[in-house]
Amino acid sequence: MSVKTAQPLSEKKAERKRRGKIGGSWKHDFLMNKWLYILTIPVVAFFLIFNYLPMAGLLMAFENYKPALGLFKSQWVGLQNFKDFFMGPSFWTILRNTMVISLLNLAIAFPLSIIFALLLNEMNVLWVKKLTQTVSYMPYFISIVVLCGLVTEFCSSRGFITNLMVSVFHIPRENLLTNPDYFWAINLISDIWQNLGYSSIIFVAAITSVNQDYHEAAALDGANRFQRVWHVTIPSIMSTIVTMLILKCGTLLNVGFEKILLLYNPSIYSTADVISSHVQRLGIGQAQYGYATAVGLFNSVVGTVLLFLSNHISRKYAETSIV
Amino acid sequence: MIERNTPSRIVFNIINYTLMIGFGLACFIPFWHVLMCSISDPRLLMGNSGLVLWPLGKPTLEGYKLVLKNPDIWSGYLNTIIYVVATAVAGTVLTALAGYLVSRKNFKLAKPLALFIMFTMIFSGGTIPLYMVVRSLGMLNSRWSIIIPTLMNAYYVIMMKSAFEQISPAYEEAARIDGAGPLTILFKVLLPMVMPTLVVIIMFTVIMQWNSWYQASIYLPRTRDMWPLQLFMREVLINNDTSRIVTSGNEANAMVNMTGNLVKYCVTVVGTAPILLAYPFAQKYFVKGVTMGGVKE
Repeated sequence: MSVKTAQPLSEKKAERKRRGKIGGSWKHDFLMNKWLYILTIPVVAFFLIFNYLPMAGLLMAFENYKPALGLFKSQWVGLQNFKDFFMGPSFWTILRNTMVISLLNLAIAFPLSIIFALLLNEMNVLWVKKLTQTVSYMPYFISIVVLCGLVTEFCSSRGFITNLMVSVFHIPRENLLTNPDYFWAINLISDIWQNLGYSSIIFVAAITSVNQDYHEAAALDGANRFQRVWHVTIPSIMSTIVTMLILKCGTLLNVGFEKILLLYNPSIYSTADVISSHVQRLGIGQAQYGYATAVGLFNSVVGTVLLFLSNHISRKYAETSIV
Repeated sequence: MIERNTPSRIVFNIINYTLMIGFGLACFIPFWHVLMCSISDPRLLMGNSGLVLWPLGKPTLEGYKLVLKNPDIWSGYLNTIIYVVATAVAGTVLTALAGYLVSRKNFKLAKPLALFIMFTMIFSGGTIPLYMVVRSLGMLNSRWSIIIPTLMNAYYVIMMKSAFEQISPAYEEAARIDGAGPLTILFKVLLPMVMPTLVVIIMFTVIMQWNSWYQASIYLPRTRDMWPLQLFMREVLINNDTSRIVTSGNEANAMVNMTGNLVKYCVTVVGTAPILLAYPFAQKYFVKGVTMGGVKE
């Protein structure tokens, strides 16, 4: 009995398998996976509406866009919006600010997160290490609004940081957020405070997975602690470092605007205004939709080029790539 | 490995511990400062400029009383919870679904769909076109504008995809032979097996939505009753406008200023405490999520 019933079942299965292999037709696939096709609809719809429709909306960059007229009836102005941006009075300022803020982050905050992970690894008292780690992630959880609230308080003319600066560097007492000379430092330091612990996590994990045999071998060969870090640990985590570096380079122009929008004021636009805050202020704030879209498009295109470029370079020279 | 404590090692240790503990304190003290300020005497607080490591004067809960009496704070709290829960639930279901679809081996659309989704990681339309889409969908000044556009993103879909791909196809095959349909397989068989990834995604979604203010500031310009907590916090902390919480009534102006200053700290505590209290429990997943890679910054 059992043999008899098993026979047709396995035959059916074999048949299904054969058909699956040979019959690669869409019709067949649709019949087999009817439910999967139906479930695809909401997923495609979502990405179509919230990711691809905005891409089509980039047409606004070439128009004098008026919401009342819509995408198709607004006046076509060709490259005028781009001309306005590149020839405009603030182009070089905001490009410089964006690059400086980004590069400062890349040159200081990024290496610091690696150093932080390495130093953490040298701590032998386990509970102190764990506590330091836990506390260092905490700032990552607070909202940008709260962070900026703290910065505003500490940097006000009677704030804690202002007091410190006045007594240590003898600068004149003022609200530090109204002096354009200080903005880059304030932005960088608050960034390090909020993200150092968080961005070190990935390196801590990479260091933990370094093979201990290499360390032992190096120690036997007489390498001291520092030499072992330099010749064993760092080469072992190099691929992680390069990957993170590529990701950073790809987002070089995307300076987070949320913090800047909350912290800046007209008196420090000369150092604090970046591409994304410019887009948001003119686009949403002053309803210059076409112009702001053009600036945003410029940003996206340069960002995509940077991503591919850094990926290409690293594939060529470091033999690591992400795309 | 046994380390010998050479003199240079000891010097290094001293410097290292000092630096690391110093940074740890720098991370912690601002939180403590805010907490201590929030229970300080408003008169002494007004004249203070520096870190407050111990309550100034007699500890008082006056500020909290004012904050908790304020209807804005309550409606902000409620709205934030609505946005957090809705995004976490609907977003996770959709993300899991998308990850499931693109990880199917015998589904012809899987590859094209994956490309379709991943392309959005490389290129995007930017803020203004997205704003226009939300606007033309008629979602401005409605709660949907905060929930719907953030439901899915390519990073989380890719995380789900790789989690599903690590499950042996035998489980699915067995469930199919037992007569389970794709939805049953997804929710009853596969999802329990990718729990860690799921928890990571939920956690990051919750943190993101709890702390988000920008979307609400552009999508909900005229509907104060729909504002999340962060927007009220912005009003108090950044725009320095405490007038709605501290009503002047017949009190002297100076008193209003002082209380307003105190209220800022209380609002910060009230708005930040939930996420910080949840943090020790979430830490394990938090670290896991980051090392999984692909987590959006």
